[in-house]
Amino acid sequence: MNRSSIPERFESSRGSAEGRIRVLSFLCLSLFAIYSTYLLYMQTIRGGEYRNKATKISQQSNVIPSQRGEIYDRSYSVPFVLNTDSFAIDLVPAALPAEMRESVFARLATLLDMPIEDIRKRIPPTYYHLYQPIQILGSAPYATVTSLAERIDEFPGISWHSKPVRNYLETGSLSHVLGYVGDITKDELKLMYNQGYKSGDVIGKAGIEKQYDMSLRGRDGREFRTVDVKGKNIESEQGIIDPPVMGSNIVLTIDDTIQKLAEKALGSRMGSAIVIRPATGEILAMVSYPWYNPNSFSGAGAGDEYARLLADKNNPLLNRAVQSSYPPASTFKAILTTGIIEEKAFPQDKKVLCPGDMSYGDRVFNCWTKRPGHGWLDLKGGLENSCDVYYWTVGRDFLGIERIVSYAKDFGFGKATGIDLPGELEGFVPTPQWKERRFHEKWLGGDTMNLSIGQGDLLVTPLQLADMMAMIVNDGVIYQPHVLKDIRDPSTGAVVQSVPPKEIARSRISRETFETVREDLRGVITEGTAKFPVNTKAVQVAGKTGTAEVGLKDHWHSWFAAFGPYDAADPKDKVVVVVMVEASNPWEWWAPYATNIIFQGMFASQSYDQAVDTLGLRYLVPKQGRVE
Amino acid sequence: MDFAILGAALALTVLGILSIYSSGLTAEGVHVSNEYLKQIVWAVSGLVLLAIVSLVDYQRMKDYSFFIYLFFLAVILYVRFFGHEVNGAKSWIGLFGEFGIQPSEFMKIATILFLAQYLSNSEHLASFRRLLVSFAIILAPVLIIILQSDMGTALVFFPIFLFMAFIAGLDRRYIVFILAAIIGTSALTILPLWEQYILKTPTNFLFILYKAPYVAYMVAAAALILLLSAWGWFSFKKKYYFWIAYAALLVASSLAASAFAHKALKDYQIMRLIVFLDPSIDPRGSGWNILQSITAIGSGGVLGKGFLQGTQSHYRYLPQQSTDFIFSIIAEEWGFIGGFAVFALYYILLRRCSNLLKTAKDSYASYIVAGIMGMIFFHFMINAGMAMGIMPVTGIPLFFLSYGGASLWAIMIAVGLLLGISARRFRT
Repeated sequence: MNRSSIPERFESSRGSAEGRIRVLSFLCLSLFAIYSTYLLYMQTIRGGEYRNKATKISQQSNVIPSQRGEIYDRSYSVPFVLNTDSFAIDLVPAALPAEMRESVFARLATLLDMPIEDIRKRIPPTYYHLYQPIQILGSAPYATVTSLAERIDEFPGISWHSKPVRNYLETGSLSHVLGYVGDITKDELKLMYNQGYKSGDVIGKAGIEKQYDMSLRGRDGREFRTVDVKGKNIESEQGIIDPPVMGSNIVLTIDDTIQKLAEKALGSRMGSAIVIRPATGEILAMVSYPWYNPNSFSGAGAGDEYARLLADKNNPLLNRAVQSSYPPASTFKAILTTGIIEEKAFPQDKKVLCPGDMSYGDRVFNCWTKRPGHGWLDLKGGLENSCDVYYWTVGRDFLGIERIVSYAKDFGFGKATGIDLPGELEGFVPTPQWKERRFHEKWLGGDTMNLSIGQGDLLVTPLQLADMMAMIVNDGVIYQPHVLKDIRDPSTGAVVQSVPPKEIARSRISRETFETVREDLRGVITEGTAKFPVNTKAVQVAGKTGTAEVGLKDHWHSWFAAFGPYDAADPKDKVVVVVMVEASNPWEWWAPYATNIIFQGMFASQSYDQAVDTLGLRYLVPKQGRVE
Repeated sequence: MDFAILGAALALTVLGILSIYSSGLTAEGVHVSNEYLKQIVWAVSGLVLLAIVSLVDYQRMKDYSFFIYLFFLAVILYVRFFGHEVNGAKSWIGLFGEFGIQPSEFMKIATILFLAQYLSNSEHLASFRRLLVSFAIILAPVLIIILQSDMGTALVFFPIFLFMAFIAGLDRRYIVFILAAIIGTSALTILPLWEQYILKTPTNFLFILYKAPYVAYMVAAAALILLLSAWGWFSFKKKYYFWIAYAALLVASSLAASAFAHKALKDYQIMRLIVFLDPSIDPRGSGWNILQSITAIGSGGVLGKGFLQGTQSHYRYLPQQSTDFIFSIIAEEWGFIGGFAVFALYYILLRRCSNLLKTAKDSYASYIVAGIMGMIFFHFMINAGMAMGIMPVTGIPLFFLSYGGASLWAIMIAVGLLLGISARRFRT
C-alpha cells in the first residue's frame, strides 16, 4: 500500500483517528443492539397486549357540531340571525368501488340537484383512495336526506351529518353590520390554527359574524365509539361523549325600529345613515346602501352570487358607514367654529364681508352663493349660512393650519374609532409636513382655505362625523362606538358579558365653548341653511349641512350631521344622526331631509310613512313599501 | 467495490417496494394506490444514478463541490418562495407532474461534499476557525429549510456535521459543545409544553426559561458571565475561567436558539415533538399516529401477520404508512424477523462505512464517508425510533424503504459515493 499521497496531518493523527472511528463503530453497534432489544420486547413480552388492541377494538370519533349563536336586536326580542336545520352530504371515496363510481355520481347528481361536474370536482381522482369523508354538499334539506336514507344501498360510502345553516331574517340594510359566514379558507386556517380552528369549519367572514366569531361559534363536541377492526359498533361499550358547547347569543345595540326608519329614510340612494347614542357610544342604527342578502352565500350558486357582488361597481359588500371615507365639506365648519371660539382666534361678534367670492394668489374662490354674497357676517351667521368666505378668511389668517389640524385630530379625525366591526377606515387629515413629503411642495394659503371648508384631501368616515357630533354633545368626550350590547348564554339567556361605555377621546376644550357651538348649530336649523329641510316639530334638532365637491358637475356628496333634542338637559337623552348621500346618485340634496324624517319618526314614534306625511314631504317621495 | 454495501442497499430497496405495495391495499384487497409502481421507477433510475456516481472519480467532485452546494442552496431558496406545499411543509418542486421532488434531500449530499472539501483543505488551520466555517456551511441550508417549516430535514444536518467534524479531528470540546447545545435547545423548546401537558401543575419558576422578556434577561445574564470569565481567562490564564465561559455560552446559545425555535415552530410541530414522551396526552391528535404505529408493531409478534395481512395498515388506522411509518407495516406483517432484518441491514451499512473510514485513500474521502454515515445513522435512529414510539415524530423518511423519489435518489447517490470511494481505496 502506498500512502505517500496522504496529507501529513491526517497521517500523523492516524493514531487518534483509529480511536475516533472506534467511537463511531461503537455508537452504531449500541443503536443496533438497543433497537433490536426494544423491538423484541415490544413484539414478544408486550405483543399480546397490542394484538388484543389491534384485532378487537379501536376507537373512532365522530364530531358533534356545536350550534352557532343567534343574533338579536337591543331588546333581545327581535331575532336577526337564526339557524335552520340542514344537512351536509359526505362521501368516503375509498368505500365506493371503482366500477360503481360513475353510476353513483350520476344518481347523486340527480338526487342532490347539482351538476355532476361539481361532484367530480369535489372528489378528484387523487382522492379515490381516501378513507376520510369528503363533503359533497354543505346544505341539503331534510327531504333529500330521507330519500337518500331509503335507498342507501344504491349509495355506498355516502353519509350525512347535521349542519345547520345561517338564516338571516328580513335583515335588509343590517347586512353589513351582521356580515356573513363561509367555509374557512386555507389562508385563514394558517392564521387561526392556534386558536382552535380546523379545516372544514364555518367562520364569520364579515361584520359581527367575523368580529365575534369566537363567541358565536362555540366548540364542537365529539363522540367516541369503540368499534371492531371493521368499523362495527361494539354494543357493550358505551360511547364517551365530549359534549359540544353551544355558541353564545349576541345582542346588538341596534334598535330594529330605528334601523328600519333610517333604512327607508335613506331609501335607494348610495350612502349611509348612522344613529348613535353619544352618552354611551351605542349604535342604534347603521345603514349602508346598497346592501346584499347574506342568505345568498349559502347553498347552491353561492360562489356566483359572491362574484357578482364583488364585480358590482356600486360595491354592495362595502359598509359605507365605516369602510368609506369622504371629504366632510361644510360639516367641518363645526370644528373650525369650536377652534375659533376656544382659541379666541377671532372675536365671535366681529364681522367679515362676504361679497360672494374672494381672490387669493392667482385664483378666485367662489362662495356657494353668487354675488352679492352673504354680506357682513359674524361667527354665528357664518356657521348658520355656511359662508365659505368667512371660514376662508378666519381659517387662513387667524386660526392657522397648525391649529386646524390639531382640532381635527382632537375630534378623532384621521384615527379609527375602534368600532367592533372589521375593516374600518382611518380617514385622513392632511398636514403641511405630509404635503412636503408626498408632493415635495410647500403648503400654501390656498390649501388652508380648502381645508377650512372641509375640502381638499381631508377624508372622514360617516362614523367619524357622528363621533364629532358626539364630542360636541358630550362636552368633549367621545365614547367608543359599538354595535355589541351584550353576549348571552344561549340556554338561560343570562348576560355573560356586556359592553360598558369606553372613553376614546377627551379634549380640554371648555364646556362654555361647546355650549356656544351647540347654540350656533341650533341656529343652523332655526335661521340657517337647514331651516326648510329640517322642519320637524317633534324635537329640537341642531346640526350642520355639508355639500362636498368631488369633481362631478352638478353632483355633490350631501351630508347632514345632527343631534337632538337640543333642549334636553341630560346628554343621555340625546342622539346623534348622520346621513351621507353620495354624489354618484342623481342630485337631490337629500341628507337633511332624511335626517328630518329620522328625528320625526324617532321622537314622535311614527313609522316612515307617517313621518313623511306629518312633515309634508310626500311631494318629494312617492308612497312605497320597503325600499329595494 | 464493497458488495456488502451494495447488497444491503438492494435488499432494503426491494423490501421497501414490497411494503409500499402492501400499504396501497385496502382490507378488501382493493388497490387504492400505485405508489409502488412509481417507487420501482424511482429505484431503477436511482440505480442508474448510483452506477454513474460510483464511476465518477470523487476527487474530481472536489473542484465542483462549492458550486453544487451553491446551486442547491439557490434551489431550496427558490422552493421556499415558489414551492408547493405538502403536509404543511413547503419544499416540493413540481417536477415531472405527479413526481414531486424535495430538493432538500439533495442539499444534504451537496453539503456533505462541500464540507468534506473544506475540512480536507483546511487541515493546517486552527481547530476553532475550522469549526466556525464548518458550522456556517451547515447553518445556511438549515436556516432556509427551517423557513420551509421542515423541521426534521433541518435537523439531519447536525449529525452530519458532528460525524464529519469528529472524524476531521476537531477539538472535542467544540463537538461536545455543539452536541450539548442541540440537546439544551431541544429540551428548552419542549419545556413549555412539557410543563403544560406532562407535568400538568405549572411550576412558578421555569417560565423564566421561555417567557418573552425573561429569556432575554437570562441570555443577557449568561452573556455577561461569559464576558467576565472570558476577560478573566485572558488576564489570568486560569483554566477554570475557560470552563465557566464555556458553560455560560452553552446556556446563552441554547436559550437564544430555543427562543428562535418557539418563533419558527408552530404549536402542533412542538406538540409532535413531545407526544412520544406520552402519546396519551393527545390520543386523537398528534398522539394518534404513534399509538397506531406502536399497536401495529407490537401486534406483529415474532413471526408477523404475513405479507399483505396486516390489519392496522389495511384498515387505514396507520397514517402515512408508505412514507413515515413504513417500518410499522414491515414489523406488523413480517414480525420481529422482518424488523430485525431491517436493523441488521442498516447495521451492515453503517459497519461497512466505519471500515471505509479506516481504508479510505485520503482524508477527503473519509470525510464524505463520515457525513453519509451520520446521515444514515440519524435517519435510521429517528424514523425507526419514531415508529416504535421512542423518538419524536419529525417526518424524516427511512432511507431505501420510505416511498419518495427524492430520498431514494439521494441515498442511491450516497451509496454510489461510498462504492466509488471503496473501489478507489488502493489507487496510487
